[in-house]
Amino acid sequence: MIRKVSYLALGVALGATVTLGAPGALHFMAPSAYAAVADTYRQLNLFGDVFEKIRNDYVEKPDEPKLIEAAINGMLSSLDPHSSYMDAKAYGDMQVQTKGEFGGLGIEVTGEEGVIKVVTPIDDTPAAKAGIMSGDIIISIDGDSVQGITLDQAVDKMRGAINSAVTLKIVRKGAKDPIDFRIVRDVIKVKSVNSHVEDGDIGYIRITQFTEQTADGLRAAMEKFKTDIASDKFKGYILDLRNNPGGLLDQSIEVVNAFVDKGEIVSTRGRNPDDAQRFSARPGGDLSGGKPVVVLINGGSASASEIVSGALQDHKRATLIGTRSFGKGSVQTIMPLGENGALRLTTARYYTPSGRSIQAKGIQPDIEILEDVPDDLKGKDDTKGEASLKGHLKNGDDEKTGSQAYVPPDPTKDKQLIAAVDLLHGVKHAEAAPAASPSPEAKPN
Amino acid sequence: MRRSGYLAIGVALGAAAAALVSAAPAAMTAGGERGVALYKLVFETALDRDDYVDEPDQVKINEAGINSMLASLDPHSNYLDPKQLNEFQTTMKGEEFGGLGLEVMQEGGLIKVVSPIDETPAARAGLMSNDVIVKIDDTAVDGLSLKEAVDRMRGVAKTAVRLTVERGSSHETKVFTIIREIIHVQPVRSHVESGDIGYIRITQFNQQTYDSLRAALAKFKSTLGSDKLKGYIIDLRNNPGGLLTQSIEVVNTFVSSGEIVSTRGRTADQYQSYSARSGYDVSEGKPVVVLINGGSASASEIVSGALQDLHRAKLIGTRSFGKGSVQTVLPLGDEGALKLTTARYYTPSGRSIQAKGIEPDYKVLENIPDDLKGKVASRGEASLSGHLKNGDDEKTGSDAYVPPDPTKDTQLIAAVNLLHGAPPPAADTTSN
Repeated sequence: MIRKVSYLALGVALGATVTLGAPGALHFMAPSAYAAVADTYRQLNLFGDVFEKIRNDYVEKPDEPKLIEAAINGMLSSLDPHSSYMDAKAYGDMQVQTKGEFGGLGIEVTGEEGVIKVVTPIDDTPAAKAGIMSGDIIISIDGDSVQGITLDQAVDKMRGAINSAVTLKIVRKGAKDPIDFRIVRDVIKVKSVNSHVEDGDIGYIRITQFTEQTADGLRAAMEKFKTDIASDKFKGYILDLRNNPGGLLDQSIEVVNAFVDKGEIVSTRGRNPDDAQRFSARPGGDLSGGKPVVVLINGGSASASEIVSGALQDHKRATLIGTRSFGKGSVQTIMPLGENGALRLTTARYYTPSGRSIQAKGIQPDIEILEDVPDDLKGKDDTKGEASLKGHLKNGDDEKTGSQAYVPPDPTKDKQLIAAVDLLHGVKHAEAAPAASPSPEAKPN
Repeated sequence: MRRSGYLAIGVALGAAAAALVSAAPAAMTAGGERGVALYKLVFETALDRDDYVDEPDQVKINEAGINSMLASLDPHSNYLDPKQLNEFQTTMKGEEFGGLGLEVMQEGGLIKVVSPIDETPAARAGLMSNDVIVKIDDTAVDGLSLKEAVDRMRGVAKTAVRLTVERGSSHETKVFTIIREIIHVQPVRSHVESGDIGYIRITQFNQQTYDSLRAALAKFKSTLGSDKLKGYIIDLRNNPGGLLTQSIEVVNTFVSSGEIVSTRGRTADQYQSYSARSGYDVSEGKPVVVLINGGSASASEIVSGALQDLHRAKLIGTRSFGKGSVQTVLPLGDEGALKLTTARYYTPSGRSIQAKGIEPDYKVLENIPDDLKGKVASRGEASLSGHLKNGDDEKTGSDAYVPPDPTKDTQLIAAVNLLHGAPPPAADTTSN
C-alpha cells in the first residue's frame, strides 16, 4: 500500500505534504489494461526517438536537462493546471512549507530596493534571543555580501541544519559600524494560525495556510480564548480564511472537527470507485462549545479553505461572509520520484457534506460583502478563479469565475470583518442581513 | 544520408514534399538516457496506474510533452503526427486539399495568420497577415494545438467554416464565414507587365516551383521575344518559404556560376555548399528586380540574398522576415515526423540573415489604407520567443502589405520604372 498525503493548494503554495513511498499493491490487469500498456510503450518509444533526434541533429548542442524539464512540464500541464513536476530542490522547499518548520534563525525579511531588511524577529527564536531587531539591514551572510542576490537566495543561505551557526553582518540605524551576529540555527515553526480577542468577546482566528502546524495552532488558540474571555461573555468565533490558498487535506478536516462533533466533513472521489473516501468528524473533537461561528472568505480562499467553508456551511454550523471563493475542487497527491523530486498529481475531486463539488464554481457566501477597494488597486485585486485557468477540470455549464480578493490592512475599514463582528453581536444591518435570509450584496460606496 | 531541407515560417495550410530521409537511431549517452528515463518515470507515474482523477489521453499528453520540448528549442521545430505529416507532404508536393488557403503559425499560444494564399477563399474573404484566430466555428482556439486548429479549418469543399479573428493592437474582432474550396497551391503566377517585363510571383517554394518558373520564362520568350524583354520582376513578397532545393534552383535560373548558399549545422560534416550549375541559367543576363517585404521569409531570403550578393538583382521593398535556419523533416516510423532545425544558412558573402532579415537595395513603402495602419507589419523572426540568436544587431518589424490594386502598388511601380531605365527610387521612399 502506498500511503499518500493529499495536498490541496493553489500554485506552489505555502502550504503542503509528505508522502511515503512503499511497494505498490498487486494490480490485476484487465485485457484493456494490456492494451494500455502497449500504448504506453509506444508513446514512450516515440518520446525517446524524438529526444534522440534532437540530440543528434539539432543545429546547436541542446541543453538536455532543460529539454526534459520542458517536456515533463508540458505533459503535466496538459492534464490540468494543478498537476506539476517538482525537481529535488522544489520538492524539498515544498516539504519545508508543508511541514511548517525548518532549521533557521526566526526572522521575517523583505527585499526592498536591493537590500535585505528584517521585518521582525519571531518571538522565542534564535534571532530574537540574539537581539536582531526590526529594521535591521543584513549586508552579509557568512561573509558573503547579499549584494545582487535575490531574497530567496538570501533566505536559503540563512536556513540550514539545526545547531549549525550562521554569521550575519547587520547595519542598524544609530549604530556607527556594522554589527556581527553569530546565531545558531534552531527549529523554526511557521505560524499558520494567528488569533486575538476581537471587541473583547469574540475569538478571531486567521488561518494563513494549512500546514502540519495548523490544527495544533487552532486548538491552542481556542484554549487561550477560554482563559481570556469569560464563557458567559463569549459571543463566538470568526474564522478568517481570506486569501488562504489551501494546504493539507487532513488539517482542513481537523479544523472542521474543532467546530463540529459529528457527521461527514468531506468526501473524495478518484477515477477508481474503490478509491472513494469519506472523512467524518471524530466525536470529542469539537472544542467550540456550540458558540456561533462566522467564516470570512474571498476570491483568494481556495482548496483546503473551501473544504472548511463548505463543510461548516453545509452543516449550518457557520455563516459565511465575504465574496465567492476560488473554486479549486480537486485534490493533489504528492508522488515522490526518488532522487528526482516528486510529482504533484491531481488524483481526486472532493465533495462537501451535501454532495456538491465546488470545482470551478466556488462557494457562495451566505452574506456577500464587498470591501472598498482603493482606487489605485481597483481591477487588480480580483482573482480570476479556477474556472479561468486553462485546462481546468470541468464542472457542468454553470461555472463561475472572478471574485474580489482584497483585505484592507486597516481592520477598522474591513467591512467583511465588521459585518462578522456585528453579526455575532446581533446587530442587524440594512445591507447585511443575518444568515437565514441572504441579503442583496452590499456595494462599496 | 540525403535530407531534404525545409524552410518556411508556419505550418502551411497549403501544401508540399521532398524525398524524406530516415535518420538511423544512435546509442544514447548516459545523460540523455537519464533524462528520458525521468520522462518515462513521470509519464508512467501519472498514467500507468489509475491515480489520475480522470482517464488521461496518453497520446494527447505525450504530444503535449513532445511539443513543449520542441518549443523550448526554437519556434520552428515541431512534431508532425501522421496526419499532419501527410498534409505537409501534400503541401510540399503542391497537391490539393479542401481548405481555406491560409498559412498559420502558433506563437505564444496564439494561432496567427502568416498569410492568406492568393486566390483562395481566405484571401477573398479578406483575412490578413497577423490576424489572430480566436474561434473556429464555436470552438475557442485557446488551448488547441496548431494541429487541432488546422484540422478544424480543413474539410470537405463547399462546407462553411466561421472564423473569429482579432486584428491589430486594438484586438478588433471580426467574424468571417468562409466556404472551403479545393486549394490548388499554384506556386508561380506570371504575366507580361507593361508590355515588356516578365513578372513572376512565387507564392511558395514547393516541388512545382522550379518547373513552373521555367515554364513562365519560356512563355515570356515565346510571347515577347528576347529583343523586347527588358527584364524580370520576381515577386517574393509574403512568400513564407518552402523547400531549400527549390530555392537553389530558382537562383540557378538567373545565375550560371558561383555559390548560392551554404548551410552549417552543429558539426563540421554538416557543412554544405550549394553552387550554380552551368547551363541552368536561362535569363540571358536580363536585369532582375526582386520584390521583398516583412512577409518574405526563409527560402525567399535565400533567393533574395543570393541574387543580391551575386549582384544579379536589385531588391526593392522592405526588410525581409529574417528566418535564417533550415528545418529537416526526420521521419519517426509510423508516428509521423519531426520537423527539426538542423542548420543555419549563409548567403554567398557569408552573412547569416537570421533575426536580421535582408535590407532591400531600395526601400520603398506601400501606402497603407488608414484602417489597416499598424496592422499589417510582420514582427519578424527576432520577435519570436526562443528564436536562434544572431549577435547584438538583430532587427525586427517590417511592413508586409501588398495593395490589391497593382496600379497602387508603389513597390511594383518602382520595379517597373527601374527596369525601364528611370533613376532608382530615393534611398528611402516614404509613403504619404
